[in-house]
Amino acid sequence: MTGKDILKVTLNLVIVYLIGGFILAFVYANASPRVFKNNEEAEKKALKELVPDADANEKHDWAIHDKHSKYFIMKKGGDTIGYVIQSFGKGYSSYINTFIATDKDFVVQKINILGHGETPGLGDEIETDWFKNQFKGKSIEHLKVIKGDTKEDIQAISGATISSRAVTEDAVKNGVAFLIKTVNGAKEGGNADVKQQH
Amino acid sequence: MSSNNTNLKELFLNGIVKENTIFKLALSLCPSIAVTNSLKNGIFMGLAVLFVQTMVNLTISLMRKVIQPKVRLPIFMLVISGWVTVTQLLMAAFVPDVYAKVGLYIALIVAFASILARAEMFASKNSILPSMADGLGMGVGFLFALTVISFFRELVGKGSLTVPTGLATQHVFTFINTKPLLIMILPAGGFLAVGILMALFNWIDAYMKKSAHASH
Repeated sequence: MTGKDILKVTLNLVIVYLIGGFILAFVYANASPRVFKNNEEAEKKALKELVPDADANEKHDWAIHDKHSKYFIMKKGGDTIGYVIQSFGKGYSSYINTFIATDKDFVVQKINILGHGETPGLGDEIETDWFKNQFKGKSIEHLKVIKGDTKEDIQAISGATISSRAVTEDAVKNGVAFLIKTVNGAKEGGNADVKQQH
Repeated sequence: MSSNNTNLKELFLNGIVKENTIFKLALSLCPSIAVTNSLKNGIFMGLAVLFVQTMVNLTISLMRKVIQPKVRLPIFMLVISGWVTVTQLLMAAFVPDVYAKVGLYIALIVAFASILARAEMFASKNSILPSMADGLGMGVGFLFALTVISFFRELVGKGSLTVPTGLATQHVFTFINTKPLLIMILPAGGFLAVGILMALFNWIDAYMKKSAHASH
């Protein structure tokens, strides 16, 4: 291989990769604002589905796994009727974007999975109704995963224990724990300890 | 022209029977085990591969004269991951409902041996139309194999079938309410299912060849 050949091969690779990079950048620049808007709409819809009674909400920020996240105080006619918190669980191959609705005593009412990249066929069963419905009426001490039949706690999906744990013991439990700490802290002394939790 | 058309047809059929990615070439066995535990998963994965395979073959065939042979593999990888990323972004932007259903499958395709294999074996040496016919055939063959495997696994593993009817709803057919052979939907069952169906496919293929010979 002569010096000229090396130059030719290098140039070839560099040029092709540059063109590929530009195409990707172009598509990303045009698509991402729309993706962002779609996600916002999906969130709005999720809020409505989780707490259909609420007519107003108060939005706050928090963070989990260094990800920016949100929680909402759901109100009806000025009274607080519950909370919705967005939380992330570290799953098998992705962060699982979860919305959790609780009543005002922090008992989980409903959860919804908005996004994840778990294995199709195994981990993606976290989206099924039978898994999500298990969370209804669970207080924080019952948010743990059991392999095998259980009514009190959360039953793991066969073949996807990591994903089940990520949703239950990471996303939902940490979210609810944060709500309890933050909202109760704010009620008690006014000097709310809203330090971000990891 | 007519011989040209039969050629394209042969190339298309080649990927479905003679060189079926899974049953004959035994490539991309990872997805054929990982994502075939329900019929819905098998079909969506197959469709995603069909699309990416065809587009990658088309692109490589267009570029074949400007690619230096020494750096062809990194360039193939760029084309494959480029198509996967572009498809993902466009779907998330313009058809978010569809993306919510099939987004998971598309991201997996980057690492499929079958796509890289066809780019290397075929598209880098042939012109556009044959390359597309080859990509379509390989894709349809893959879709066919995944559908058969996932149909078999879900039926005996779960005792039900989830049929994707449109994107909003799934019709669920249940013929027995327990899980008769749970192992079939777990990864171990994937090996069993692929093995059994591969043997069956080759047995039928050999039988048909034999009877075709006998009739001559």
